Amino acid sequence: MASAQAIEGFDATTRFREGAARAVEVRTGELFGHRDGVLDMRDIERVHDMRVASRRLRAVLEVFAPCFPKREYSRVLRDVKALADALGARRDPDVATEALESMSAAFAPSDRAGVRHMIGELRGEQADGNDLLAEALEHMDVSGLEVRLLALAATARVPA
Amino acid sequence: MKARRVKGLDCDGGLAENARRIVLVRLDELFSFDPAVRDPRAVEELHDMRIAAKRLRYILELTEPALGDAARLGTKEAKGLQGLLGDIHDCDVMVPRVRDEVERLRAQDAAVVRASADPRAKDLEPEAVRRAPNLGRYRGLEALATYLTARRGVLYARFIGEWDRLQRGRFRERLERGLAEGLESPPPPARVNGADPTTRSAATAQAGAA
Repeated sequence: MASAQAIEGFDATTRFREGAARAVEVRTGELFGHRDGVLDMRDIERVHDMRVASRRLRAVLEVFAPCFPKREYSRVLRDVKALADALGARRDPDVATEALESMSAAFAPSDRAGVRHMIGELRGEQADGNDLLAEALEHMDVSGLEVRLLALAATARVPA
Repeated sequence: MKARRVKGLDCDGGLAENARRIVLVRLDELFSFDPAVRDPRAVEELHDMRIAAKRLRYILELTEPALGDAARLGTKEAKGLQGLLGDIHDCDVMVPRVRDEVERLRAQDAAVVRASADPRAKDLEPEAVRRAPNLGRYRGLEALATYLTARRGVLYARFIGEWDRLQRGRFRERLERGLAEGLESPPPPARVNGADPTTRSAATAQAGAA
């Protein structure tokens, strides 16, 4: 899992609205930096990294909410949440599958067929989740989410 | 669970004072689940408490360069709680799912066995059950549900132990006091997300994982 990037100039002397702008800029960069290869189901860490980045971005949006214009903030937050949900729809079965595979090895051989059956069910969910994620990524691009996030960050620097 | 609104935030004010206000509300949220979570059947409250711990962790992690050492300590404890409650939640999600799957397979098998009988049969011979396609799966699924239920019990006991330890150690009061002291003597601005900016890799690591 990728560590969160440090936010330069983020300390006790920083004004809240400047912190808002910097935090959203850095976390937006992280989110879009993890975009490549997330639909590749052979490497489950990619989707994990992007999901973590989406959570961090959502967290900074919510922390600094009062510094943004309400209407655009609500729209951007809604889209970030939808993207995070789609990433979760793919990631949750990834995690459950990995856990069951590890448990299965410790189970008695006569019990493994049942666990394998459950893993098969989860694999179907992974594939469905991946389809959902593909749609969410497309929406992210079409709606210009990255540009809108950076524009929102810039508005925080300007007092209302 | 919707986060409680934080009153009195000032966009033109300092990051530290605003962050402290948010932390106090998130702390209050976290502690509001006690005593409800002392009932092991309080699945929803345990799940909501995990979300509260996550929110507390995120604000502390994010603003640690402004809030100082108290935030670092708080992040560690909130992260521990979040992880433990997350593992409990995983069991709470998976156990009913496995049981539902057993029921679904049993119903499917019964339908297959019934369909294999002569339509004019007045009764069904016990040997017919051998034609059920999922018999080999029940046992493993039951074993899985049993294991997950037992694991949940172990994790829950550990959670209560951790929660009691935090209460005994006056976690909340220490964090509140630490934040107030941090405002009086803030950490030096040269620090970047809790680490010396001259050691960039350490700064990145310090920024923490979600």
